Amino acid sequence: MSTSSGFLSKTATLVSKDLRVELRGRDTLPPMVAFAVTVSLLLAFAAPAPAELNEPVSLPIGTVAFVDVAAAFFWITILFAGLIGFARTFEVERDDGAVDALLLIPLDRSGLFLAKAAANLAFILVVQAVLLPTFALLFHFDLGADWAALMLVVLLVDIGFASIGTLFASLAAQTRSRELVLPILALPALVPLFIGAFELTSDLLAGDGLDAIAARGWFGIIVAFDVIFSIASALVFEFVIDA
Amino acid sequence: MSTLIEVRDLKVAYGRTLALDGVDLTLDEGVAGLFGPNGSGKSTLLRVLAGLLRPSSGTVRAFGSSVSMKDESLRGRIGYVGHRGGLYGRLTVMENLEMFARLHGVNQTRAEVVTEQLGLDARRDTPVMSLSAGYRRRAAVARALLHEPELLLLDEPYANLDDEAADLVSAAVVAWRRPGRVAVIATHGAKKVKAYADAGLILQHGHLLKQGTYTAAGFTE
Repeated sequence: MSTSSGFLSKTATLVSKDLRVELRGRDTLPPMVAFAVTVSLLLAFAAPAPAELNEPVSLPIGTVAFVDVAAAFFWITILFAGLIGFARTFEVERDDGAVDALLLIPLDRSGLFLAKAAANLAFILVVQAVLLPTFALLFHFDLGADWAALMLVVLLVDIGFASIGTLFASLAAQTRSRELVLPILALPALVPLFIGAFELTSDLLAGDGLDAIAARGWFGIIVAFDVIFSIASALVFEFVIDA
Repeated sequence: MSTLIEVRDLKVAYGRTLALDGVDLTLDEGVAGLFGPNGSGKSTLLRVLAGLLRPSSGTVRAFGSSVSMKDESLRGRIGYVGHRGGLYGRLTVMENLEMFARLHGVNQTRAEVVTEQLGLDARRDTPVMSLSAGYRRRAAVARALLHEPELLLLDEPYANLDDEAADLVSAAVVAWRRPGRVAVIATHGAKKVKAYADAGLILQHGHLLKQGTYTAAGFTE
């Protein structure tokens, strides 16, 4: 059995490998960022931001504040940009025929999962680092109002997203049409997480503080989602990767 | 000498095709050459021995335990090179070897040792994707030897190698050989392996046609 320090150092080695390979190859991040920026521009043209974020807008389902629409735009863009990246989770191993070498490493499979999920989390954070200022510019968000609270919500949602995305990417990687299979598998599981993300982000952008949103049910749901799905994904990963 | 590898009534099917059909074999310490024509089941047998492929039926035991991907400690005792090298193309030879050394928990100096053994010094800082097929093969063998595995499984290690490079691979395997270690080397270049192998296995159509040992007198079944 690996010691915990061995487990962590091997996991960190795998994360660093994935980031280094991406820095040199730039196969995953540029398409994710390009997709996210293009979609945000299209959305800005389709639904120009009113002068006030809280201004009501009429939709077929009823009247909502524009801030709700903008928060949904942001997270839906992240959702699909993320899925584009996650579909490539095991491509580097597939391209180089390194899957066998990886599977023979004396490291618990949860370490492999953790490394891949951490690399995916890093990719999502980079996309958000570009997309948040872009959205702020296009939809008149005030990111400075409660910046730390927004980052907390973003990070919590990203952890659950990366866990689920990595697990289903490992499953989809074993199929021929993995780019199609991944969204079909992952989207239903991600629905509660992203509804929570819309709700909390729109509350924050509307001016609620961290104390207010922490008391909301959705905050607890997202935290519970992260804990349950991160642990469950790490445990299930072994059966998927060794199948 | 004790039996290190024991295979009983091994069958592997890909759909309706039987790649291995009732293979029984035992291997003691030393190097075994695995020979046979294309499609005879050599690569399948190596993947099963490595635990990378689950048999349809039969048992495979290595060092007294059943071979299973779930056995983390057994995984660390295996060095395997398949048809593809298993190295990351965008990383240099040395980055790959140092990374796998860390992942196998062995000293970084081992990366230097195998680099020298396989004649990779001049290519150590070259990205693997920029290497010729022969150098990639040598780098792949270096990766498999890095953690001094007790079970070494090489699938066509001499592919794309010139005579000089083939000699380096042979010398590296001979240097790796120790009591308690076993290697199975699948190759079409039987002559190269016979020069130092202790045993030979001949597969045909998924059946083990012959198993024997090499002595001064020749091949004995």
